[in-house]
Amino acid sequence: MRTRLLRIGSRARRLGPRVLLVVAVLLLCAAPALAGAYWLRVLSTVFMYAVIAQGINLMAGFTGYPAFGNVVFFGLGGYATAVLMVKFKLSFAVAAIGGTLLCPLLALALGPPLLRLKGHYFAIATLGLNEAVKEVVANATSITGGGMGLSLPIPGGSPASNAVMFYWLFLVLMFAGIWITWEFGRRRLGMACRAIRDDEAKAEAAGLHTMRYKTVAWMISATLTGAAGGINAYWLTYIDAPSTFDMAIAVKAFVIFLLGGAATVLGPVVGAFLVELLATLTWSKLLNWHLGAMGLLIMIVVLVFPDGLRLVLARGGIRR
Amino acid sequence: MLILEVLISGVLLGGLYACMALGFSIVWGVTNLINLAHGSMIVIGAYIAWGLQTQVGLDPFLALPLVAAALFAFGYLLQSLLLNRIIHVSLFMTLVLTFGLDMVLVNINLELFSANVRSIVLSYGSVALEFGGIRVPATRIAVFGVALLATWMLHRFMNHTRTGNAIRATAQNPKAATVLGIDARRTYALAFGIGAALAGVAGALMAVLYAFSPLSGAAMTLKSFVIVLLGGLGSIHGAIVAAMVLGIAENLVSGLIAPGLRDAVSFFLLLVMLLVRPRGLFGNRYLADTKPI
Repeated sequence: MRTRLLRIGSRARRLGPRVLLVVAVLLLCAAPALAGAYWLRVLSTVFMYAVIAQGINLMAGFTGYPAFGNVVFFGLGGYATAVLMVKFKLSFAVAAIGGTLLCPLLALALGPPLLRLKGHYFAIATLGLNEAVKEVVANATSITGGGMGLSLPIPGGSPASNAVMFYWLFLVLMFAGIWITWEFGRRRLGMACRAIRDDEAKAEAAGLHTMRYKTVAWMISATLTGAAGGINAYWLTYIDAPSTFDMAIAVKAFVIFLLGGAATVLGPVVGAFLVELLATLTWSKLLNWHLGAMGLLIMIVVLVFPDGLRLVLARGGIRR
Repeated sequence: MLILEVLISGVLLGGLYACMALGFSIVWGVTNLINLAHGSMIVIGAYIAWGLQTQVGLDPFLALPLVAAALFAFGYLLQSLLLNRIIHVSLFMTLVLTFGLDMVLVNINLELFSANVRSIVLSYGSVALEFGGIRVPATRIAVFGVALLATWMLHRFMNHTRTGNAIRATAQNPKAATVLGIDARRTYALAFGIGAALAGVAGALMAVLYAFSPLSGAAMTLKSFVIVLLGGLGSIHGAIVAAMVLGIAENLVSGLIAPGLRDAVSFFLLLVMLLVRPRGLFGNRYLADTKPI
């Protein structure tokens, strides 16, 4: 990888995107001082979707396993955080870490059986996993509140300072996701996963313990998605099963991932900005049609950009 | 006696499920497309039957040809105008595209018909037959009969007509079929139309027995997937048996354990099947398996 990065082109061409990146990062860090509560909220949602899409990117983009129902970790992370806070009276930080760590455990347990499946079968199996966990959560009334949902303690502090706090939480999580994907891509783990994606039988024949790599990739993906779910639960202060284990979240993240281009480090972030800002702009105008508008947006993205914006990013040297 | 009742109603429900799942199966098998909007098409069929019955007074059983024709046209156009464009791109694309389509259809249904739960009330709905102390509503038996008739017609069509053979040939090897003069894109459109028509028929039949709303579709899609998986892709007999297995399992769980877990049965069955026997109960490699994904 190192050699490939050096071969990209002249010094200026390498420098351009980096300057752009630094400016973008500075702008994002300055946003709490510049933007109002509404736009902080919108941006926080963008970051959240970028993280979920990054989780899908690790599985579908790098490893070639379309984890269509990855939203199960979003729901699980959220519910685990909520239950730890409400039933065990833990502080948010402890509960969120606990809730987040539950997700890779589930991926570890289910990886070996589920990751034997490929293509459609794996995609629908994860979808079925999401529905199954959703039903269990919705019916375990004594722990999760069942159909009534679960109300979390309202964070102390003024609404304005809370908006800034959640903005920073999601921003840091998104940067963590980018860094993890970057490291993932350039290490042995990422190389192995790409080998699996390109030809699993050959990777196996070359002596790679494919199941181990696939499972670890899914655990990382689950951790990121679960952390987003945990923060989201505290942010909304109320969660219920249908809205957290919501396949629409997964599909939106999938569209973001597709638009950004598979197996790129920054693709999910770019895609999240495009899709989420577009969705926000249509949202406020279309009260009864936002579901359909989102569906239409999804269809247009797929029909118009079947290869994503990957080519644009590749020219910037960001594709790995 | 209770068990017998559960078994009978499970088998009767299975007939309807088989019709529903075969529409999904033919689309998947021929075009290699998992149609996540399948459930919404079932719901559209239900609304057409409901509209004809409440507005014109047409009996839902007599409305079936109309429903089938309307959904066939919808499916044919959808495939030829939209889905054929991306069919060879990638499997993520088709999943995402049909999910987007499903969102649009759900939204349209919500706007046209509201989120209220509807059902068709028939004047002869209370007529029941009695076998050895077990009462079975006549409508259930009629729905079962019509659903099986539809699957039989599909079987005849696929195996005993030139067009049916062309569709099967395209499913098994699109390249070879094209060499023999079959227009693959038209065949894909035909298959999708037939799948949509079966979905519509299943929806109209469902409306006779159960209440439905624009949001009923998602569970139907997953149930169709589970049945196809159990029965084997492209197998009509397999789908019928698998549909009855699911019908009985759902009735057993909702009757004996908890009614709220009815829909969860199919999800767990799905996970168990994928883990234990992803080739289905009868394990026939068929159709999409022969094509690279």
